Amino acid sequence: MTELSSNTSASLASNVGEKRGYWSRVGRDGRKLGKWFVAPTVALLIFIVIFPLLMQLYLSFTWWTPLDGVPWYQAYESFNWGENYLILAYDPAFWAALWRTAMIMLVAVPAQFFLGLGLAYLFIDKFPGRKVFYSIVLTPMMVVPAVVGLMFFLLFQGTGPVNDSLGLPASFSWLTDPNRALISVIIADTWQWTPLMFLILLAGMLGVPSDQLLAARLLGGSNWQNFYKIILPRMKSVIAIAIVLRLVECFKIFDLIFIMTSGGPGVATETISLFLYKKTFADLDWAYVGAVGLAVLIVLSLIAAFGLSRVAKNKG
Amino acid sequence: MVALLRPDEGSIVKTHKTRSVTIKRSFRSLAVKYALLLLACAVVMYPLFWMITMAFKPFDEWTTGSGLTWLPQNATLGNFEYLFYGQTEGLVVTLDRTIGGPLWASLVTSTCGTIIAVVAGTLSSYAVVRFNILPSLALSVLQLRLFPPLAVMIPVMVMWAFIGGVDTWWGLSLIYGIVTLPFAFWLMKTFFDEVPIEIEEAARVAGSSYWRVFYRITLPIVKPGLATCVLFVFILNWSDYLLALLLTQKEWVTLPVYMNTLNTALGEMYGMKAALGFIAAIPPIFLGLLIQKHLVRGLTFGALKQ
Repeated sequence: MTELSSNTSASLASNVGEKRGYWSRVGRDGRKLGKWFVAPTVALLIFIVIFPLLMQLYLSFTWWTPLDGVPWYQAYESFNWGENYLILAYDPAFWAALWRTAMIMLVAVPAQFFLGLGLAYLFIDKFPGRKVFYSIVLTPMMVVPAVVGLMFFLLFQGTGPVNDSLGLPASFSWLTDPNRALISVIIADTWQWTPLMFLILLAGMLGVPSDQLLAARLLGGSNWQNFYKIILPRMKSVIAIAIVLRLVECFKIFDLIFIMTSGGPGVATETISLFLYKKTFADLDWAYVGAVGLAVLIVLSLIAAFGLSRVAKNKG
Repeated sequence: MVALLRPDEGSIVKTHKTRSVTIKRSFRSLAVKYALLLLACAVVMYPLFWMITMAFKPFDEWTTGSGLTWLPQNATLGNFEYLFYGQTEGLVVTLDRTIGGPLWASLVTSTCGTIIAVVAGTLSSYAVVRFNILPSLALSVLQLRLFPPLAVMIPVMVMWAFIGGVDTWWGLSLIYGIVTLPFAFWLMKTFFDEVPIEIEEAARVAGSSYWRVFYRITLPIVKPGLATCVLFVFILNWSDYLLALLLTQKEWVTLPVYMNTLNTALGEMYGMKAALGFIAAIPPIFLGLLIQKHLVRGLTFGALKQ
């Protein structure tokens, strides 16, 4: 159905020119209907963005915790002139968590990228069994992240199969040793998300016009040259999409680590999300969490705005 | 629907089919390729296989105690029985909460969340694409996905407590609907973009109202896309852990959260957890296979099409 419609649109598009994309003339009742259509989304956005952000900003300037016995709107009673932000700047636990998150991102995302790229290259042409292999390779991505956490929790037990098949003693622990716990988490994340990289990169690779590849091959380019000089430069934007997507998701990582190690041993695998979780539920330091959350939010928004402006510039 | 069920055509950016240029390969490179593919499959299957077999292993085969084996030696359904009925042979401890509640909770909240996300996302993306109303909505919706949920959860938790949404089906559904709205919006936007506007304009000229055009012409055209969107968003909601952890306590705890609470005086209940993980993992894998063709589009917010 979709294929058919896109064919017709291709043949007709030339007649309409620029107006394609939205109605060339939207009447008054059309605009009215459109307003009704966006209303639920706008309402949800206001409900979940504007009001909560204001509340968070407000709370972050107080000492308020849910244990105060004071409703949140009376939090001004413990107004503290932004001391939370000062604490944040000198909170070693926060910076350590940020650093750990960055480390996971810097190791896991490149690993996923190169593995995904290699895998995608295997799938670039037709071969018997392609569909089956394709489906199997994609599976990890579909598994619930919490279940992935459980699977690797089981695998990395001292008495688990990894030690067993590597011939290591049960005392060789993965999840209770600070360094190895971090490695285990990275392995689990890589297992789950390499397929996403693979999927996106393969889409990019197949988008490289095949006549260019054929020409390069006829001119005697080796496989490696073709890959490096023809395919890679033509999938730059796809690579950017894949990496940005993974970086963002990796920064948010929670489920997997929470189930595998709960941030432990000690704080060895405590990323930003786990740090916030601990502050929220162990310390009940809600105002401080609000401040940290807002700081993270602002920095991320600045990065996103910068990235978007770069993209816009490239297009223009 | 037929188009839906046909997995990967290997095509991208709409025009390209799988490369027609077949590269002549030596037998050796083909062998290397298959070896690598088999290796990749082995790596993929290793953890899954371990969890699935674990689900069928009796207590004494869980750890190295009696030597680890890949296949259960005395395969048993005891773990599942324990989850569903709260007791099983050989275990003194009974389970006070069986899987029924969490399974139901997961189903209800994922479904309702999906309905909210898909309805709001479909309508608003149509309005943005066709009526050009609030074009900035697209980006602001996308921003919802940028932030770690925990960074913005404090006010949400306060609000949910205030409106009485904590540990209720509608409270969790509402937040699910909101966090998956960006996916629904962008996925539907790509499908609407593909509908030729000429068809709709022809219907307009023939005298149909805007609503009728949307409901009678456009919606049937994007039906396969809509189905994909529903399944995709459902997978996302089903996969959530964090939101359910924060916004439920007992009554509406979902499967993943329930899984992690399964500990008794006996210690870690590997077998039961594995059985539970197995049950929780099946629907998304199955649905994911159905929508394989559109996964790229969904996961990249329509930046790439397959």
